[in-house]
Amino acid sequence: MAKEKRTHIRNFSIIAHIDHGKSTLADRILEFSKAVEKRDMEEQLLDNMDLEKERGITIKARAVRVNYKAPDGQEYALNLIDTPGHVDFNYEVSRSLNACEGALLVVDATQGIQAQTLGNAYLAVDAGLEIVPVINKIDLASADPDRVIGEIEDIIGIPAEGCPLVSAKTGLNIQDVMDAIVRDIPAPEGDTEAQLRCLIFDSVYNSYLGVVTYVRVMDGTVRAGDRIRMMSTGAEFDVVEVGFMDAFGLKKQDVLEAGDVGYITASIKTVSDTRVGDTITLAEGGAEEPLPGFEEALPMVYAGIYPADGARYNETKEALEKLQLNDAALTFEPETSAALGFGFRCGFLGLLHMEIIEERLEREFNLDLITTAPSVIYEVTLHDGTLVRVDNPSNYPAPEKIEVAAEPVVSANIITPTEFVGNIMELCQDRRGTFHDMKYLDAGRAELHYTLPLNEIIYDFFDTMKSRTKGYASLDYEMKGYEPSNLVKLDFLLNGEIVDALTFIVHSEKAYGRARRIAEKLKENIPRQLFEIPIQAAIGSKVIARETVKALRKDVLAKCYGGDITRKKKLLEKQKEGKKKMRQLGSVQVSPEAFMAVLKLDDDT
Amino acid sequence: MPGIQLFDNRRDRKSPFARFEKSRLGLYLHIPFCRAKCAYCDFYSFVPNEEEIMERYVDALILHMQSYRAGAKDYLPDTVFIGGGTPTALPIELLLKLIRAVKRNFTLAKGAEFTLEANPATVDVGMLRRLRWAGVNRLSMGLQSANNEELAALSRVHRREDFAESFRAARRARIENINVDLMFGIPYQTKKSLMKTLAYVVRLGPEHISLYDLILEPSTPLAKRAPGLPMPSDDEEADMYLAAVEFLAQNGYAQYEVSNFARPGYQCRHNLKYWNCEEYLGLGASAHSYFRDSRFSFARDVKRYMHGIEVPTSRIKMTDENDVISPQERIGEYIMLRFRLTAGLSDREFTRRFGFSFTQKYGKKMQPYISGGFAAYKDGVYALTPRGMFVSNYILSDLLDFEDLGQLHLFSGMK
Repeated sequence: MAKEKRTHIRNFSIIAHIDHGKSTLADRILEFSKAVEKRDMEEQLLDNMDLEKERGITIKARAVRVNYKAPDGQEYALNLIDTPGHVDFNYEVSRSLNACEGALLVVDATQGIQAQTLGNAYLAVDAGLEIVPVINKIDLASADPDRVIGEIEDIIGIPAEGCPLVSAKTGLNIQDVMDAIVRDIPAPEGDTEAQLRCLIFDSVYNSYLGVVTYVRVMDGTVRAGDRIRMMSTGAEFDVVEVGFMDAFGLKKQDVLEAGDVGYITASIKTVSDTRVGDTITLAEGGAEEPLPGFEEALPMVYAGIYPADGARYNETKEALEKLQLNDAALTFEPETSAALGFGFRCGFLGLLHMEIIEERLEREFNLDLITTAPSVIYEVTLHDGTLVRVDNPSNYPAPEKIEVAAEPVVSANIITPTEFVGNIMELCQDRRGTFHDMKYLDAGRAELHYTLPLNEIIYDFFDTMKSRTKGYASLDYEMKGYEPSNLVKLDFLLNGEIVDALTFIVHSEKAYGRARRIAEKLKENIPRQLFEIPIQAAIGSKVIARETVKALRKDVLAKCYGGDITRKKKLLEKQKEGKKKMRQLGSVQVSPEAFMAVLKLDDDT
Repeated sequence: MPGIQLFDNRRDRKSPFARFEKSRLGLYLHIPFCRAKCAYCDFYSFVPNEEEIMERYVDALILHMQSYRAGAKDYLPDTVFIGGGTPTALPIELLLKLIRAVKRNFTLAKGAEFTLEANPATVDVGMLRRLRWAGVNRLSMGLQSANNEELAALSRVHRREDFAESFRAARRARIENINVDLMFGIPYQTKKSLMKTLAYVVRLGPEHISLYDLILEPSTPLAKRAPGLPMPSDDEEADMYLAAVEFLAQNGYAQYEVSNFARPGYQCRHNLKYWNCEEYLGLGASAHSYFRDSRFSFARDVKRYMHGIEVPTSRIKMTDENDVISPQERIGEYIMLRFRLTAGLSDREFTRRFGFSFTQKYGKKMQPYISGGFAAYKDGVYALTPRGMFVSNYILSDLLDFEDLGQLHLFSGMK
């Protein structure tokens, strides 16, 4: 049987720059279609993690079906597939887009096109989607929809004349959006008779059901009882249930057919068995070829995570294991640091991903953590030809063994008001960027392209960019590959002993500045102790910066409290408690707070 | 007494005659009244707005003593200390009434030390003579500084001249054991001005000198003002302290405790009880006791205290603290307190008391302090040096390892 159109289904995503109103528009669409009563709806239903809500960022994709009765009198099933809005999760976004036929491109009528608008729009174009522009926030006084329509047409090159002009906040003109979805987004097609191929675009661990896998059925059909196979791993499972999710939860169905978006449960224990982008087929008589585009989600950024209280190592491990059930992109393995004790080297998709994991560990599992400075993966070729991938700066090979070292670089795209172009260029230059080109988007804004080392981006680039452009510039980037670089390993010594947790890999030109700054921070944050503590920063045996923490000379309760011994004991006990939390770095004691203060990335201007 | 059980367990002793011997006891009486409140003081004291409250308070204190009369029968007080506040803020008749009540309710040991705190400008020779006749044989006078600018910064009521006069009055009243309280770390103070104060005091020639480091207690007016005042830094204070220890030693005042210096034979026997883990009974509002294995303190509120005494049947809470000190806790206390003394901690005495050797348990931890010059070890005795004393919190909080003493529940009675 040939491909068949599922004329009453629309599969679509919403894409936008951060804060342009994606989640709010999603709410309005659900509401409009009466899928959910306003009073029943938790604000921004699609974001169902607290953390995401707080940050206003959607992390995990979800799919919700909405039944909509169009003005033509016909009932349509609209599958809204939510996508993450951050560059760390670009791969997840691209998989979600591949599950759709169209995307709503939401642009803020006051801000116009931003870096992520472009990044996401290009992802959607690459995925072959129909793009429906939606201009949001037209209720604001500073809204300029005509200018924004012009921008969309000129810069992205898609027609925007007559596109929906809405206010997701007030609910104005949402009807236009609904009509545009039905009218402009193509119905899915697929061959229900063909061998089963489902694209996994998300999976969520649930303690009752096991992993709930969200799929788009591209070909064939799947139903409960089928034995399925994950094409990348070969793992096989028996389908327990299929269905779709609506605003109230999972709705069980008999079958999912080509063109459908829905979920599959199959007593799967961990999300690492259902990798985003993988293809599900039947174990017997399955498809030969998987769907294109699958990649293993590879961590880009690594950091050591240690429990502040060493006794909580096992709890930390269990917490990481639990998070991993739901997050295949998180990797971790045990590591030991002389300074920090037992902990884990964790891999993340990016800085935001790292922050999210840290916060979840602290909030949901009530852990106090010490996190080392994030590091990228360096590729070091030794004289004997061996390629070493270094994810922990402490393991960086000795300079005399290195033939060539390479670091990951990204292709970055920055949009900024023209008045800040100078600042951006200065920043990128300072961060070892290579300039490619600059375009004026309109009279007031420019778009710059740079190649930047990833390790400069993870070192507070984003915050510095924001502070130097009054918050107006926006950034989007994608991995470009590895480039040879003149890197050095920078060690810090307290009292003559290397503190492994403070070792950095840094470009040789930046070593002095970084060394001085961190040495100063150490001096500010290490409490005075009975002996003077020399602080040194060194490349190999060469000391390039030094500071001294003077000896503590007064720490006494000299007063006689009229026989009030209890008071003295209490004060001593408090002091002792503080000391218990101290980390022994060689002969030097440092509080976890001090350690974090030193590692804290801030503006180094 | 409401709130406390005091008279049950008899202490067991090793001597076969033990039950015929009386235990020594320090007696402390707190007078929470002042002419004016000093800016740095966080002791319990206030300026009374009428004389009646002082009368009522002294009566309550006497009743309180009476209530202990039977219970402390097996004790022989050998030190009495009337402190405050300012005991001499009481009208002299009230003060004498109190002293007579002490002697009526307790049999004092022969040669007992009887100290009265007195502020300059609240005493005269006639009054001091009557106090000596009543039994006071030691006077503790607060000078704090001989620099009038520094005194003003502390909002003391007296000036250097007033002090000289009071000191001479005490001598004329033939009080032959006088302590002078001094402070360092005062606003405006420099090492030079401190040395001048010390030289001045040494010339006066008291038997005992206390030199306390001014602690800015958060609740005090001085703590609020301090950020705007020129305060000596910690390093300057350390210099002051070490210089003072040396200067006083050269002038015949040997240091015997972190903040205390005396001519030979004039160490304060009452205060030594605190540091020797000996028993003392403190009566009065906010007074602290270590008595029959408990540390307790009475209500830090005059009204509550007086009511509790006057109406024995009332359910009012008379004690703020009341902790039984476990044998394990005593180890921690003992180390903490002995290290305040230049006499230090004798391992033999320690082993006798606790049944294990200090060296065995703490010797290794002491080593870096000994080699760093913060402590000394000689003939089985560990003691902190003056440098070590000035960082003793650091050393003690390192030494008293909670992980280690965890099983022993060090300080477990603390709330």
